[in-house]
Amino acid sequence: MSDRRPVTEQEALRESLRGLETARLPATVPPAQFPIETLVPEVRQQTPAVGQRATRPDARLHGLGQTKYIDDLALPGMLHARIKRAGIAAARIARIDTRAAEAMPGVMAVLTGREIPANSFGPSLQDQPVLADERVRHAGDGVAAVAAVTEEIAAQAVERIVVEYEPLPAVFDPFEAMREDAPRVHPPAGNVYAHKIIRKGDVERALAEADRVFEGRWTTQMVEHVPIEPHAAIAAWDANGRLTVYSTLGRITLGRADIARTLALPVNRVQVVGTIVGGNFGGKNEISQEPVLALLAKKAGRPVKGVFTRGEEFYASTTRHPFFMDYSTGVGRDGRIRARKVRLVLDGGAYCSWSETTLGKACILATGPYKIEHVQVEAFAVYTNKTVAGAMRGFGAPQVCFAYESQMDEIAAALAIDPLEIRLANAFDEGAASPTGQTLESVVVKASLEQAAARFGWREPRS
Amino acid sequence: MRRRGRGIACMWYPIGFTVSANPSAATVKVNEDGTATLLTGTVETGQGSLTVLGQIAAEALGIATEDVHVVSADTDATPMDTGAIASRTTYVTGNAVKLAGERARAILFEAAAPMLGVKPEQLEARDRKIQVRGFPQRSVPIGEAARHALVGKGEPPIGTASFNPPTVAMDPETGQGKPFATYVYATQIAEVEVDDETGEVEVLRIVAAHDCGTPINPMLVEGQVEGGIAMGLGFALQEEILFDAAGRQINPNLTNYIMPTSLDMPEIEVDIVPSYDPTGPFGAKGVGEPTSVPTAAAIANAIYDAVGVRMTALPMTAERVLAAIKAKRAADAPRLAAD
Repeated sequence: MSDRRPVTEQEALRESLRGLETARLPATVPPAQFPIETLVPEVRQQTPAVGQRATRPDARLHGLGQTKYIDDLALPGMLHARIKRAGIAAARIARIDTRAAEAMPGVMAVLTGREIPANSFGPSLQDQPVLADERVRHAGDGVAAVAAVTEEIAAQAVERIVVEYEPLPAVFDPFEAMREDAPRVHPPAGNVYAHKIIRKGDVERALAEADRVFEGRWTTQMVEHVPIEPHAAIAAWDANGRLTVYSTLGRITLGRADIARTLALPVNRVQVVGTIVGGNFGGKNEISQEPVLALLAKKAGRPVKGVFTRGEEFYASTTRHPFFMDYSTGVGRDGRIRARKVRLVLDGGAYCSWSETTLGKACILATGPYKIEHVQVEAFAVYTNKTVAGAMRGFGAPQVCFAYESQMDEIAAALAIDPLEIRLANAFDEGAASPTGQTLESVVVKASLEQAAARFGWREPRS
Repeated sequence: MRRRGRGIACMWYPIGFTVSANPSAATVKVNEDGTATLLTGTVETGQGSLTVLGQIAAEALGIATEDVHVVSADTDATPMDTGAIASRTTYVTGNAVKLAGERARAILFEAAAPMLGVKPEQLEARDRKIQVRGFPQRSVPIGEAARHALVGKGEPPIGTASFNPPTVAMDPETGQGKPFATYVYATQIAEVEVDDETGEVEVLRIVAAHDCGTPINPMLVEGQVEGGIAMGLGFALQEEILFDAAGRQINPNLTNYIMPTSLDMPEIEVDIVPSYDPTGPFGAKGVGEPTSVPTAAAIANAIYDAVGVRMTALPMTAERVLAAIKAKRAADAPRLAAD
């Protein structure tokens, strides 16, 4: 409009804070005492160093609140970013109108997926856009981003971005998704994007000849890592066109390569600084918003910080794969397992992320720490239009352990064998062969059973 | 009525990536006073890995943990590292740190040997000294050796090394191969009380016996186990992301996504299983992920022991447990009548 004069940053800041009880005020930190003499418990001065209960050097900083997480860092002139999430599980993006957001006072840059030089990433399959440009594959997909002088303005500006969607058929159930006629999440490819098999011995014959065969299905749910510190990063360029990214990434070497590739920069023009991370648990093992922040920073000519909301931690970061696990186990009357056949279906959500690794580890571990001559494991990872499943503490192991150890107790109960004893009878010994034919060394599964049982008092009479 | 039960679950878990390369590199610089600086590209994500890596460097150099300062996580300044993933830091990065420390130490031995009138092969580094093996009274302070190497010989005591776990590719048809260099093992036993009128499960106590090879820092191992059990407890009983019919999450917040707090935590007793892996740094393997692997299974088995219902779906919420108890009563009732 003609009567509009440029709004200064200060005015925009004041405007955004007016009447907002929820607006965050600058934190005040009490002055700290910095010791000249090193304060260390005696134990740390001992040698040998290995085996010491050494105090963490960062413990004092954590205790005094002096550890700097991304949220504590600010660069001069730094802006705040917010990403617009699709909110629809499957759609074609017909049009994105960012004009209203761009016109808002305090908004310094707006970005869409088409502006990203190489708009894809992923640790094994590069099937995930940094910001969705043509197609939305789950409700947490980012479709546009804003950098503004405050978080509040950025959040308001994101609301003013208008995205027109043409809804597409969606699929949410992995078994439905495996059918030929199911809606395809990544057409023209089918929805099964990873498959693995492990075979040893003759499982069908051994099951047919076993005294007893136990069958069951176990299922697990989707969960979040819920780190205290959400995904956070700051991107800043220097006058030579060199980019520095401070990030909560747990893998900076890979992160640097991915950031360079998505931005079409030589790797030596990118510096990634990993800050002290407030919890990872697998969720911060690949880039997320870093290229978005870098491009917003480039457009705005200012450093840009992005911090996921708690909501984004749930729907825009990765989660633990839901598993569907079918187990058939052939057992002798003596309680010795002769054969175990396992079929796993992993709900991978909209993108591959760390699914191949999760699938692989789950397959290898699926029959448990037991000597079993005849083994077959077959597993599938399947796309659905749901939140992305990726790396999470255990990579499929907590899921298969729930199944194989539950079934172990079923077998024990049916054969009237104590749960501890049936495990001791079947557990790996030193030099045992794994399902993949690997000779295992430093095997202490029986020792762990005995040690836990002794500590618990398992063999003592029950009251 | 609250019924008590106990359940056991054991597990195995690999260290490092499945077959694919996951190297770490490290640089150890010994300073003029015998303190040292370690450069590593890994990231501290709260688990205490930098402390452990510092202890490994200190052990390789025969100095105290306090003598090592760790610089981490800057792609401009620190060497390549595959990162804080796959329970690999102590084993893979730790091996790189140990090798780098030993290379720096070899330069110190070369400098100290003429000072002590012996060959470098006869030396060892202990208690902040370079000493003759078998004759510890013949020694020089490590700082003196470092100073001599740097300003006397002009050879700074710096070591850089890398490590990648040896694996063998898996056959695509049968999966046969050696996907990992090593594995760890563990058992957890849970004691629970189940209210058979409400289905509510309270975990009273968990005993956890975990193998991590040599515990480089037992306190940090215990911390990992306690944290892993908290995560396992939420997976077992409470946490679940729920979707509406259109595929949108309906509980993406900490009000409706229920996870355990300190008040939900049971008594945890941690035992470290004695073990030594000759391929690990000073015998160490790892402990990060396995700690949350057997918890849900142990709790499920304890619920069965308490009320006789086999839960086959997680999370084992009060609603689901109560439904299973009612289904069991309904199934048992006609049989009793028929008897």
